[in-house]
Amino acid sequence: MPFQLSDEQLLTRSAVREFAEAEILPIAAEIDRDHRAPLESIPKMGAQGLLGMIIPEKYEGAGSDYLSYMIAIEEVSRVCGTHGVMIEAHTSLASYPILHFGTEEQKMEFLPDLATGRKMGAFGLTEPEAGSDAANLKTTAVRDGDDWVINGQKIFITGGGYAKTFVVFARTNPDVPSHKGISAFIIDRDTPGFTIGENEQKLGIRGSSTTPLMFSDVRVPNSRMLGQPGQGFEVAMNTLDGGRTGIAAQALGIAQGAFEAALKYAQERVQFGKPLTTKQAIQRMLADMSTDLAAGRLLVYEAADLEDRGEEYAIPAARAKLFCGPMASRVTTQAIQIHGGNGYIMEYPVERMFRDARITEIYEGTNEVQRLVIAKSLLR
Amino acid sequence: MKIVVAYAWAPDPQEASVGADGQVDFSRAKPVVSEYDAVAIEVGRQLATATSSALVGISVGGPATGTPVATKAALSRGLDEVMVASDAALADAGTTRTAQGLAAMVQRLGDVSVVLTGDSSVDSGSRMMPPVLAGLLGWPVLSDVQKVSVTADGVTVERLLREGVQQVSVTGPVVLALASDATQPKAPGMKDVLAAGKKPVTKLEVADLGPAVAEGTVVSTAKLTGPARKGIVINTADPAAAAAELVGALRAAGVIGSTGGQA
Repeated sequence: MPFQLSDEQLLTRSAVREFAEAEILPIAAEIDRDHRAPLESIPKMGAQGLLGMIIPEKYEGAGSDYLSYMIAIEEVSRVCGTHGVMIEAHTSLASYPILHFGTEEQKMEFLPDLATGRKMGAFGLTEPEAGSDAANLKTTAVRDGDDWVINGQKIFITGGGYAKTFVVFARTNPDVPSHKGISAFIIDRDTPGFTIGENEQKLGIRGSSTTPLMFSDVRVPNSRMLGQPGQGFEVAMNTLDGGRTGIAAQALGIAQGAFEAALKYAQERVQFGKPLTTKQAIQRMLADMSTDLAAGRLLVYEAADLEDRGEEYAIPAARAKLFCGPMASRVTTQAIQIHGGNGYIMEYPVERMFRDARITEIYEGTNEVQRLVIAKSLLR
Repeated sequence: MKIVVAYAWAPDPQEASVGADGQVDFSRAKPVVSEYDAVAIEVGRQLATATSSALVGISVGGPATGTPVATKAALSRGLDEVMVASDAALADAGTTRTAQGLAAMVQRLGDVSVVLTGDSSVDSGSRMMPPVLAGLLGWPVLSDVQKVSVTADGVTVERLLREGVQQVSVTGPVVLALASDATQPKAPGMKDVLAAGKKPVTKLEVADLGPAVAEGTVVSTAKLTGPARKGIVINTADPAAAAAELVGALRAAGVIGSTGGQA
């Protein structure tokens, strides 16, 4: 499917690139080195409208289409994978389910703060015993009068360190098949009994705060249930369908950044009296990387375009993620190879991009889960 | 009252390449709002907001200047509306003819208090556009402008000169050429991008700009001819030795005198 981007989509790309190069690129290496969450970027990204792109103007969002949002994640991730996932997890995992499953009261209460970045959002699904097997979650919510009392633990929660609004999944009915007994809740960070653990030390996306969440008799009013009782698994899976395109866009952006760095390096680096670009071995890698990027971009844009047109996008999104995650690992590996020894040291950005790329094969559905989703659609 | 910004839709210098012969190749560079004029738009936005004026962009250029993506790009930077004349005949119009077109636009708009531009341009970098435009309008022009504030009967500007900061007050309408570091233009936000398509665009034909523009000459360029570069490379690790070698080479070439100062 050929894509002719609209004027607005083209201008989104140039505007986000200009912002990312001015405000994010200068701190990308430092936040990685220091494992520091770039909190100063949150109001800046909020002011640019990057934290509420797919949220309608009615709720203080920008009202952009989904493809523009993907282009924005791609452009931000091109200079910094951490900032890419900060936007993605906040928007696709926390704001999106409130927009699609929330009541009007919930939307009016939470979306304006999320869309402007006054509050960041996070998504609490994964548990120690429930990763890919999300329906196996052990966190419970027990009805007590008008409230639900939540107990349990979540792990690997992106944005846990700075988020104020959490979409959390808990088992509300133990007597039905596992995925039917789960409900979703919107929980404020400062709710008594709710504690946030220490940041994990990670291989990549080191500036992205990743924490456990602990719930000890956390009392949440019934008005904070998101969707219907027992609808939680559907909320989670529907949210992750969109999230997959977002992570594919992040992977695409990381790979694009690594490719551009490698191309520039190959043009400037002279060995045996000539630039590296004169060597066929290097040309071959550059050609492969460029082809990988073009293919990945089409898959991401197709999935986003289908979502914009209100068509079925879950399988195209799974395909985009299944292709782009490993593609980003492949392209960043080749970028290091082109850089030689310089690619292995922190003075050049490609080793960071290589480490940042790896998680895109894992979070929001591993490669294996994407294959499962795609195969299931083929065999039904 | 209107504040006008004259801007160019020009190749992005970040995407230009320089060949081995020193020629700059813009053929693969995508067009953008000139980075110099983006500074003028940003300053114009602040002025227009402070004085409740309308901020109008004007541009004269080849066919690409009038495309929706070009006008939306300019509008997304904070202009309230734009007026453009784009035609193949204007693509290589040169400074005088382009300035004549811009002057015709300013006169057509009427009630203009200030015309802002970047103080340089991406193409020839001649810095001629502001004075030629001001000459055609019969207005004063100030270059190297760092700061602008609107007064009751004109503007007060600060110019950063080699001698220091100069403050100048002007009564009546004026053309101001903004220094490229007068401010750091902000990237358009997502709402700005979407709002751009809803703002007014006025398109003019070449004939609307008057006979001088319609019948003007086309300017072509030629490669500079002059003495060939000597290609001397000073490759010495010790800075003092490098300086001595440089001074020696400049003296030998007659660029600096044989006396005065120690190498």
